Amino acid sequence: MRLSCCLCILVALALLPGVLPRGTLESAAYPPEEKPGERNLAIVVNLNNPVENLSTPELRRIFLGERGHWPNPYGRRITLVMLEPGWPERAAVLSIIYQMSETEFNNHFLHGLFTGEVFVSPKTLASPEGVRKFIFNVPGAIGYLRESDVDKTVKVIRIDERLPDDKGYKFHVPLR
Amino acid sequence: MSKKETIQKWTTGAGSWANVPWSVFSRYSSALLLLLVFCTVTVVGLFAIRDLRRADLEEQNMFTRSVLSLHRIAALQYQTQETRRSTLYALSTADSNLHVKYADQSREADHLVSEGIAAYLANARTPNEIDIGRRLQRDWSAYLSVRDEVLASILEGSTKEAVDLDLTGGVQSFDRVRHDLAEIERVYDQQASQQLASVDAISRRTILRVAGVLAITLAATIASVWAIQRSRMSGAIQLAKLQMEFVASVSHELRTPLAVISSAADNIADGVVKGKDELRKYGAAIQNQSRQMTELIDQILLFAATRNQRNHFVMRALPVSEILHSALQQTSGLAKASGFCVELEIAPGLPLIRGDASALVRCLQNMIVNAVKYSGKSRWIGVRAFLSDTELHGQREIQIAVRDRGMGIARLELPRIFEPFYRSPAVVAEQIHGTGLGLSLSKSIAEAMGGRLTAVSELGAGSVFTLHLPVVEDFQTNTDEHL
Repeated sequence: MRLSCCLCILVALALLPGVLPRGTLESAAYPPEEKPGERNLAIVVNLNNPVENLSTPELRRIFLGERGHWPNPYGRRITLVMLEPGWPERAAVLSIIYQMSETEFNNHFLHGLFTGEVFVSPKTLASPEGVRKFIFNVPGAIGYLRESDVDKTVKVIRIDERLPDDKGYKFHVPLR
Repeated sequence: MSKKETIQKWTTGAGSWANVPWSVFSRYSSALLLLLVFCTVTVVGLFAIRDLRRADLEEQNMFTRSVLSLHRIAALQYQTQETRRSTLYALSTADSNLHVKYADQSREADHLVSEGIAAYLANARTPNEIDIGRRLQRDWSAYLSVRDEVLASILEGSTKEAVDLDLTGGVQSFDRVRHDLAEIERVYDQQASQQLASVDAISRRTILRVAGVLAITLAATIASVWAIQRSRMSGAIQLAKLQMEFVASVSHELRTPLAVISSAADNIADGVVKGKDELRKYGAAIQNQSRQMTELIDQILLFAATRNQRNHFVMRALPVSEILHSALQQTSGLAKASGFCVELEIAPGLPLIRGDASALVRCLQNMIVNAVKYSGKSRWIGVRAFLSDTELHGQREIQIAVRDRGMGIARLELPRIFEPFYRSPAVVAEQIHGTGLGLSLSKSIAEAMGGRLTAVSELGAGSVFTLHLPVVEDFQTNTDEHL
């Protein structure tokens, strides 16, 4: 009896990483040590992009793939960059911007690309570093990073005239 | 400075180099020539070594520069290719993560290329190198701008657009970069060829110098050998000449008494001599001439014995007065016959000297006879014995000086008068007979007694010959030393 209980606990622990989102597991496994900007989710674009501010509806349209190009004179094709599923940043974006689940998100792009309503298919990258490098290399790229992952190779834009550190900024991520 | 002082200085070895006669140089010509050869070869050798070192350094520098240049150009070529290769790799995949990875690699490589170009420009020395470097910098920037667009297109997922961009702009601009790199390589080749030619020239010059050194050394060695042989031959000829002169002189010295003895004997045999008085007179003449001949032969034998170092002197402590009186007694006949006044001065309380009595008497006798022979019209000889203030080999010394007021000796002759068989041309011209052995013999005796013989002279004023003998400090009077 005692042996079967122990086995059940071990099996449950082994299955846990597949069930829980990655950030949640890490948060559970390691005590959080919050760094400045750890919870703020910054919207980042290429350094050459002249856009400084976007409203939440504009941001949503871009992320939904409903806009193909940045406004003139820049006019570069918009490339949307997402982190792979499992990242808390992705979960936050799906929740705050898309207001969709993972499945709804996938269906939205499958349907949109098929019907031509969506112009941009998001690029999925494995890490925030990849996102940062992608945005650095692609003039029309837009993506999201924790504020602590941002460096000088990318540019943070205001959302509704607010930067991540500003009061009233709406985009936050659960702790890692 | 008076003339006498000058002479004194010369005899004591304190004269200036300007006063050194040429004969001294000619005597040491071989050694001086060898020294000159050594100095010349050393100087030229040092030049050759300096040249060799310079050539070696040039070669090292050239090698280092060539290797560095090759390394630099190879690194540039590799990194430019790597920049392009990574970009093209990105075309071969649809994975965004791999796109980012290749883009990253391409950027790392292009960063290294930019650094390499900057290093090349920093080391560029000629205007041509600077021009090529700047052109490469421009062409590389142009290629990078195309490359950035290509990468952006690939990352956006527009592969066709990326290929079109690369074909229209990327290939051409990259070809220009390759052309620039090839030109840099050609410049490096040219520079290496020039440096090689320079090193070759230095090497040839060094070989010539080394050959020159060897030639000089050979010539100088031949000259030295020739000079040494000549010097030896000249010495041998001179010795032979002196010996011939000696034989002639001895023959002459022997012939005169022999002629007297012969004619006296003839007269006696022919019955020309009558009466006891005449016979006694002839006998005395024969006796006198025989004694002169015996003395001459003794002197020659003594000289020969001294030269062969077969002399056995009986060393003992001697009072100076004893040997002086003995020598004066031996020469008194000659001095009286020539009408000489001998002034003797012996300082009171002189310590004993060490030596062989007969040898020292012979030595002093020679000095006195010389004074008689070379006094000219003067009929005065001064003999003085005194304790000197100076020391000889750390011992006090007694000096016995024999002075005359005769013809004196020329300054150039002074160093040679102690040479065996040497006779001054002036003496020969004056027809003063002698063998040229007296002073040489006296000098040998003085040195065998642990002393020395010196001479000071002034032409036309006279000479002083001084015998220096060490004082006996604690000599056992009864002990005889045999040398």
